[in-house]
Amino acid sequence: MSRIYLITHLPNNIKNTFHNVRHRTLQKVSLCTSSSSSSDDDTKLQKKVEEKKKSKEALDKLNKLLLTMTEDDVSSKTKLNLAQPTNKRQKKLREKQDFKESKATPTETLVNAANNVAESIGGDVKQTQSELLMKLLNVANGDATVNTNLKDLVKGMKIDQESAQGAGLSKAQQVRQILQEQSKAPRRKGDMAKPRSKSAKSPKRDVVVEKISLFGSEPLGIFSPNQNDLTEGVVNKTWNHLYDKDLKLAVTHPPSNYFQQMILWTEQKKIWKFPIDNEQGLEEEKKVYFTDHVFLEKHLEPWCPLKGPIRHFMELVCVGLSKNPYLTVEAKKEHVLWFREYFKDKLELLQETGAIQETDLGKLHADQKQSEH
Amino acid sequence: MMNISKTLLRRGLPQANITSNILLSTATIDDKIEIPKRIPRGPTDILRALESTVGRDPTAAHYKYHDDPYLIPLSSSGKRIFAMAQEAGRKAAHWVRQEHADLFQHREADPVIEAFVPPMVYTEESEVAVADLEKLIEMRQVVDSAVVYRVLKEKNVEVAQELEQGLLELLCYQNCEDGVSEEFVEERWFRQASKGKEFVKKTWKDGDLAEQIFSKMTPKTPESYCAIIQGMSKYRQMDSAVQLFEEAQKSNIPLNTNTYNSLIQSVNMIKENFDMRWSLLADFLTQMKNSNLKPNLGTLNAILYALSFMGNPKRAKEYVLQTLAEFKNLGIEPSLGSWYYVILTFCKERGPVSTILHDIINHLEDKEHQIRDLKDTHFFVTAMEMARHHLNDVALARRIDKLLNYGDNYNLIGDSYKESVYFRHYFALLCDNLPLEEFMNDVYFKLVPHIYVPEVGIMAEVLNQVDVNGAVEYIPKLWSDLIVFDQSHRENLVDCILNTMVNNEQLVTPELTESFAKIAWDIYSRSINEEEGRVHRLNLTGDLLGKILILLVRQKDFEKACKVMDRLDKNQQTIAGVPKIEALALFVDLCIEEKVPSRGIDCIQYCTDCGFPEANSLAVRLHKELNLDEVFLERLTKVVGDVFSTS
Repeated sequence: MSRIYLITHLPNNIKNTFHNVRHRTLQKVSLCTSSSSSSDDDTKLQKKVEEKKKSKEALDKLNKLLLTMTEDDVSSKTKLNLAQPTNKRQKKLREKQDFKESKATPTETLVNAANNVAESIGGDVKQTQSELLMKLLNVANGDATVNTNLKDLVKGMKIDQESAQGAGLSKAQQVRQILQEQSKAPRRKGDMAKPRSKSAKSPKRDVVVEKISLFGSEPLGIFSPNQNDLTEGVVNKTWNHLYDKDLKLAVTHPPSNYFQQMILWTEQKKIWKFPIDNEQGLEEEKKVYFTDHVFLEKHLEPWCPLKGPIRHFMELVCVGLSKNPYLTVEAKKEHVLWFREYFKDKLELLQETGAIQETDLGKLHADQKQSEH
Repeated sequence: MMNISKTLLRRGLPQANITSNILLSTATIDDKIEIPKRIPRGPTDILRALESTVGRDPTAAHYKYHDDPYLIPLSSSGKRIFAMAQEAGRKAAHWVRQEHADLFQHREADPVIEAFVPPMVYTEESEVAVADLEKLIEMRQVVDSAVVYRVLKEKNVEVAQELEQGLLELLCYQNCEDGVSEEFVEERWFRQASKGKEFVKKTWKDGDLAEQIFSKMTPKTPESYCAIIQGMSKYRQMDSAVQLFEEAQKSNIPLNTNTYNSLIQSVNMIKENFDMRWSLLADFLTQMKNSNLKPNLGTLNAILYALSFMGNPKRAKEYVLQTLAEFKNLGIEPSLGSWYYVILTFCKERGPVSTILHDIINHLEDKEHQIRDLKDTHFFVTAMEMARHHLNDVALARRIDKLLNYGDNYNLIGDSYKESVYFRHYFALLCDNLPLEEFMNDVYFKLVPHIYVPEVGIMAEVLNQVDVNGAVEYIPKLWSDLIVFDQSHRENLVDCILNTMVNNEQLVTPELTESFAKIAWDIYSRSINEEEGRVHRLNLTGDLLGKILILLVRQKDFEKACKVMDRLDKNQQTIAGVPKIEALALFVDLCIEEKVPSRGIDCIQYCTDCGFPEANSLAVRLHKELNLDEVFLERLTKVVGDVFSTS
């Protein structure tokens, strides 16, 4: 049975049921009013209760009717699957019927009918009307509008029936396909819930591209544009540093080729920087001129005797240190000065053994005195 | 010069004179040699120059996977597992180094590579100095720096104000906990950003070290107020943040722009409805102006972020445009993050369609963009989503894609989740709107499987399109893709594929029939194969088995068809549903061809069990074609009743 057929008939059915119900309620009401003269309060209450009951009954009947409608559709569907060869005949019949019955569009009659029903029930008109319409629309549409199931319509068509369908898809065909689709819908919904419903909401509507001027609107007017002397306030150095790091990390992806990997490693300081510079890491050393490394005799000057075994020894020490590439200038100076302290401590011993002459002594003493002051 | 030389030649002067004349003339023209200034090159510039010559090869797997056909993952879960496994190896190495730090004390490299040295462990008893604290703050080690700070305080070592301020800022930024180490790139890449657009959960640790340091700090400097307020806003502790803000205002302590930005961002948490939120926001802005603070990109993004979910879409849109104009006048160029918020505000799901995306793309096209705000990475995903759902516009999507692939913009794709969502929308949009052949050749075969692996939903749409277009030649490839992507157990996809194969009988060539039969058999054997013990196993319904039967019968593969029939017959209780009668009819036809009436009778028995009325006509046909002898005829009569007397 075509959906449209049922829909166009539905209002009449509902109308009939409710007219019946209404008659019955009116009868009951008239009975009540006739006997109301005798006992006011009780009957009034009774009346109200009965009215409520009647309206409830009416609603129940309506619900049952709607349910039977849906059941009807299900059974009619399965028959449809097998009865495909008789498409053309049924379709033509239905086309004729459609044309005969509906002068106004089906939806309009539906809405009017629902309105009438709601009014006749009484109570919350708008709510009942919307409930009715919702139920009907739910059954008819499911989750997809007619337009976007073009795909499924086309799929269901066999190629040898192309001439029939080519003449334009009647509402009957569309509805039948929608009903077929409904049977498949529960299974598909689980997997494609979001994309499916979303695509249903965006049919091929012709979107008019209206140009919105991004910067053309009136400004808020809070800040004045030409103040150049403003600052951003106190600077949170560490915070800003951390934020910049985070920004960089947000665009750091796993490297997609070897060059990117080498870039990452270079930034992590794991490999040499290009172009390869032998002195990478020796920045401190660059600041010191080479003569400071080599000419260490100047550290000997204040304290070392000019002749004798001590001088020999210290000169050898200086030569050795000058050839040492691994120590910094400070370290070398430390070495030399350590020797100075050492010889100062051992002064007596040196004098006894004769390593130090009296003349040289003066320097050491002078130095001692200086250091004491 | 040439004229001079020609005239000289004509005069017949000796060579030397000519050359000297030429030299003289040249010397006068270029007597200054300009040596261009040396361009200082950074340490990675050469590498970057070389890298820019290498593009992305869509036919190869990503660089991080081993280039071995057996070790290249092709499903989305496989890719994730392989990459994380590699990272797990790195983590294991880190762990070994930490456990056995005494074995890793050699320093072979000169200069020393800090990254390879085992990390220092700081406990309560460690000997620490202020320099250690400095280094730890620099290296962003939050927990260690907290420990070191406590030790220093216990020993009453003097910690400079600046250093304490730095520590406070670190703690506020990280909420007193360590983040994922910078070394673990894969983990960051695959970290599914599960927080939604508006995560309003408060995660700030109340009373933890940051607050302690702040409260003990005397005097309370503006920097410290800024730091603590920013930290609290970032982790959504709004009550305290606002309280501290008011305190600062009362004591006339000047704050900075970023603090105001963080407060503006959280305006939607402080107030409930649109008007109150907007008035609070405007208040903040006026206060900023009165304190003579210069707004920056952060301010713009904060305002737009707040507007994007403030409520009252119509007025929000107006304010958005006004804000954009305002900041344009201030000379602040919006970043991609700002456009992301604009799209969010204008293209709401349940709202009117807005074509602002066109204008935005016009503005952004053909330019290289840098990351300037953390939200920039959301732009491309959302733009593609809107192009698909909101506008359904292929040309626009193509433009967005072109912008993404321009220069280095691909870096702004964010992480793997955003990338997959971006491609998902792109695919679905093109699948719906492009003619199938163009889609398959230009998009599908290029991007799948190395750049993007379609999800189940997208595969279903592709299969739908193939079905609609009757393009059955793609089915074998799509089926093998389904197996590779680990989606072959999904019932809806199997259903779709079987439908396509069954329904388009007229379009198949003999090779295709054969491959369809193979696919059907593959589906069947996968479903009954219990060895692997997988969690997902496809349970074939009667209908699907029927379709498999049809395909096998078309290929005239009697043996396999019998197996399927047997399965149908024997497992009637466990199999849901029954096959269509066409399937069974075709099977009976095949039995007639192969002249095996016993099978035919079994099938007819099954038909009657299922309650098909056509069983009778099938029986009649069987008898007519094969001229059954008595035994078979008797069996048949038992099954269907006496229909043969009429024929």
